[in-house]
Amino acid sequence: MAGPRPDAVSRLRSVGKHALLIAASLVMIYPLVWMLVSSLRPTDVIFRTPGLWLNELYLDNYIEGWTALARPFDWYIVNSGIVVVGAVVGNLLSCSLAAYAFARLKFRLRTLWFAIMLMTIMLPFHVVIVPQYIVFNTFGMVNTFLPLVLPKFLATDAFFVFLMVQFIRGIPRELDEAARIDGCGHFRIFFRIIIPLMVPALATAAIFTFIWTWSDFFTSLIYLTAPDMYTVPLALRSFLDATSGSNWGAMFAMSIVSLVPLFLVFLFGQKYLIQGIATTGGK
Amino acid sequence: MTTTRRQFLAMASMGAAGLGLAGCSRGDTGDGDGGGGGGGGGDGDSTSLTLTWWGNPTRNQNTTDAIDAFTTENPNFSIEAQPGEWASYWDRLATQTAGNTAPDIIQMDMAYISEYGQRGALLDLAEYGLDTSKFIEGTADSGVIEGTNYGVNAGINSPSVLFNAAMFEELGVDLPDDTTWTWDDWLTTAIAITEASGGEIIGTTAFISNDVMLSAWLRQRGKELFIEGNQPGFDVSDITEWLEYHLQFADAGAMPSASQITEEASLPFDQGRLLTGTAAMSMYWSNQLDAAEAAGGTEYAMLRYPSFDGDATTRKAWYKASMLWSASARTENPEAAVEVINWWVNSTEAAEICLSERGIPANGEIAEHISSMLSDPQQRVAAFIADIEPELGDTPIAPPPGGGQLGSLLLRYSSDLLFDKLTVEEAATGFYDELVTSLGG
Amino acid sequence: MSALSELSKLRTGGHQTPEQRAARRKETSRDNRAGYAFLAPWLVGLFAFTIGPMLASLYLSFTDYNLIQSPNFTGFDNIVRMLGDDRLHQSLRVTFTYVLVGVPLQLIVALGIALLLNKGMRGLPFYRSVFYLPSMLGGSVAVSLLWRQIFGTDGLINQLLRALGVDATIGYVSHPDYALWTLILLHVWTFGSPMVIFLAGLRQIPTMYYEAAALDGANSRKIFLRVTLPLLSPIIFFNLVLQVIGAFQSFTQAFIVSGGSGGPSDSTLFYTLYLYERGFTNFQMGYASAMAWLLLVIIAAFTAINFFAAKYWVFYDD
Repeated sequence: MAGPRPDAVSRLRSVGKHALLIAASLVMIYPLVWMLVSSLRPTDVIFRTPGLWLNELYLDNYIEGWTALARPFDWYIVNSGIVVVGAVVGNLLSCSLAAYAFARLKFRLRTLWFAIMLMTIMLPFHVVIVPQYIVFNTFGMVNTFLPLVLPKFLATDAFFVFLMVQFIRGIPRELDEAARIDGCGHFRIFFRIIIPLMVPALATAAIFTFIWTWSDFFTSLIYLTAPDMYTVPLALRSFLDATSGSNWGAMFAMSIVSLVPLFLVFLFGQKYLIQGIATTGGK
Repeated sequence: MTTTRRQFLAMASMGAAGLGLAGCSRGDTGDGDGGGGGGGGGDGDSTSLTLTWWGNPTRNQNTTDAIDAFTTENPNFSIEAQPGEWASYWDRLATQTAGNTAPDIIQMDMAYISEYGQRGALLDLAEYGLDTSKFIEGTADSGVIEGTNYGVNAGINSPSVLFNAAMFEELGVDLPDDTTWTWDDWLTTAIAITEASGGEIIGTTAFISNDVMLSAWLRQRGKELFIEGNQPGFDVSDITEWLEYHLQFADAGAMPSASQITEEASLPFDQGRLLTGTAAMSMYWSNQLDAAEAAGGTEYAMLRYPSFDGDATTRKAWYKASMLWSASARTENPEAAVEVINWWVNSTEAAEICLSERGIPANGEIAEHISSMLSDPQQRVAAFIADIEPELGDTPIAPPPGGGQLGSLLLRYSSDLLFDKLTVEEAATGFYDELVTSLGG
Repeated sequence: MSALSELSKLRTGGHQTPEQRAARRKETSRDNRAGYAFLAPWLVGLFAFTIGPMLASLYLSFTDYNLIQSPNFTGFDNIVRMLGDDRLHQSLRVTFTYVLVGVPLQLIVALGIALLLNKGMRGLPFYRSVFYLPSMLGGSVAVSLLWRQIFGTDGLINQLLRALGVDATIGYVSHPDYALWTLILLHVWTFGSPMVIFLAGLRQIPTMYYEAAALDGANSRKIFLRVTLPLLSPIIFFNLVLQVIGAFQSFTQAFIVSGGSGGPSDSTLFYTLYLYERGFTNFQMGYASAMAWLLLVIIAAFTAINFFAAKYWVFYDD
């Protein structure tokens, strides 16, 4: 972004920038390193050993964590995978449709609906848990993945609707105005013009939905009671018990395992997150 | 439940619109299922029950095994397991109860039994043939509240003080004699440890906000935590003295600081001070010995809690139910639910699978039957439970609704005291008034 | 929430010819149909899963619902009790402090880092992922254990201080004067989500603006103030609104760090933590529902102010 500068100065600046970022990275990554180190120690020494130095690589936690529960751990990863894929697809479809309506269409009561949409995320969820549970129970959906997925297909995540509204409003109107005057239908404009232009927003929504759904403990807890239906967060909790000993080693080991998909999704997903707008020659 | 997965994927591929009502759940909706053999449900001549508990991996295993054993023996039963863990168990149970889907058989805790029982959520087990004829005296009353039997003792527990004997020896401090030690001895012993270790090791973990020890202390003064009629069984002056007693520990550095107490209140079990070797004694329930020794990597001496007049027979000990078995008041098969509970507490088969993991069985014959099968720590617990029988007083009543909060109230007011935000009188009065309010609420 | 009418006053880009205006009018009826067609999934979700439970909780605010027995209507009892509830007032103080300090700090950090990680460096994907990590760990047990390990009485900070010869005995997570600030720090430390949204927003700024500014010979500070900030303002606005809503409802971190107690001395008693305690621990769901609706009113007021103020600083290019 800056104009041309003498080489030496810019190199110095870049080295300084990297040094700063690496220092900051250490602060950010410390908990993960601590978790990784703890997962490589026997449970009974985790809390009695300070520091991050490992004397031996103790891999039993991984073996034990993978096999200690009623099913091998990949079973729970698949369960979580089903829920997460459903949630991501649902959110991308339904939230972008709603966002287009709010951002580009002038229909009656639009402001009212928008206000109601924001209000739905202002009420603390603890007081709607019970009524919502009764709704899902009436539909016979308790102990299925539906309560975790179906709402996403119906745009209940106002966060993402509003996010996409802001992004669509940032797209210059000239780009779709021309198509409108040519008489293109809204669905065509939406799929042909708007969607390709809001890839960063869609990527953001996909990544967040993935990560939040993957680690959503409370919804799983309430709706999935059969051990075979457990998602990863529930499986991780079953290693712990507040009233007696917990299998911390296995819990940390499997936490590390369950973080791998998240990290990979983010690492590869960010390519789309930072795509420039093609029409304007972004690099 | 692989069918569920297949169904789900099939439905997901059909698109969101076609989801409708899925027949994957064991629901009673009776709607057709979304293709591919439906879920379970009653086949007319079989009884299906759900059973929920909280626990650790060991308990999850033995409970699952016991369920298998029962259903093998009684093929007309099918029991669906709903394991959980303590921290989130109560959130789920409350939600299910509110939604009328509470499991038929519920592992219950003394802190919550009144909340659920007195509000009509639990079955009167006595009405449906609960059998406690072989129970050790006093243990059958744990789940009886004002004449109704809301739960049955699933294992005996008694409060004890664990000592790190090796540490005492190392520091050259004598272990107290637990048949004659007094509350003041607890203080002097703790101070001795702190001084001998140069402050490296704290004499005792804090028990200023420990409702169990407060209960023991009150009982020896002829009071109780709670009495019939949903009210406290003590008054402000008792609490004032209790707090003053603990300020002596604080002043001598014989218990952790106010900050440390706050931190420890939310620590996981395995990080307790005694277990990490930074304190020499601590109150534990007898059935936690096994887990404590596993986490601490050392053996602990299990001692009686003290008395006022240096005589253990006056210490008003009691057998508490470490947990209880209850049944939902809305169960469709009350007799069947009680049949399972009876099997659990009275059969040698169940006992052989679960041993004393939930506490020493309350059924004396059963306890006898499994005594030789127990691990070394569990044998010591069994001996402890047997030894203290002459010292028992009346069994305390279960905390009334709102009473389960006593411990956290006491923690809040005692930290305010230790952080010098309140005087002893203010803390005692504040605590008492708020407790009375929450019992009335 | 009349401030929301802001939304309906779309700025029409520059001047319009009469033909264009006529075309617009013709489209209005088409817009109505299309609007509801696009909104259909959301409307179904609203009426199937959202509005019912919300109205149920509104009704329950006027009852003594205890989760187990049927609710009895008690009129304004809960509201009267809330007026005299000292712990509720304490929880409001804690929550307001958290929102007013934590949100701006977190957004400034997130924006700064996003600008730094925007482009033109090697290793950016790695840095971005690392900076997002804490947000992935968010509410896990590991974070709470760790926070105590760092800020506890015998934590990392104090060990460092002691090594330097300072007599440090204060447990920051467990001292009434400091505990809330460690949670605010934890909030700032998990700046990953707003950072990612800023990154995405930065990429939506058409490069032609930068090219034009560069031709004008503007320096980087000017480019930031004249181009980046105005064009990013809708995204800054989004983050501000959502982070305020989120911070008012902050629960998980306080819950895991204080073990659900809000201690020491209620210094970290967040509003929703207290609400949860009332609703699920004390079985006073009626009271908790009343508390929830009070919070909704407070959040709605803040959001309305945000929307109203947006007129003066948020720039839409549509």
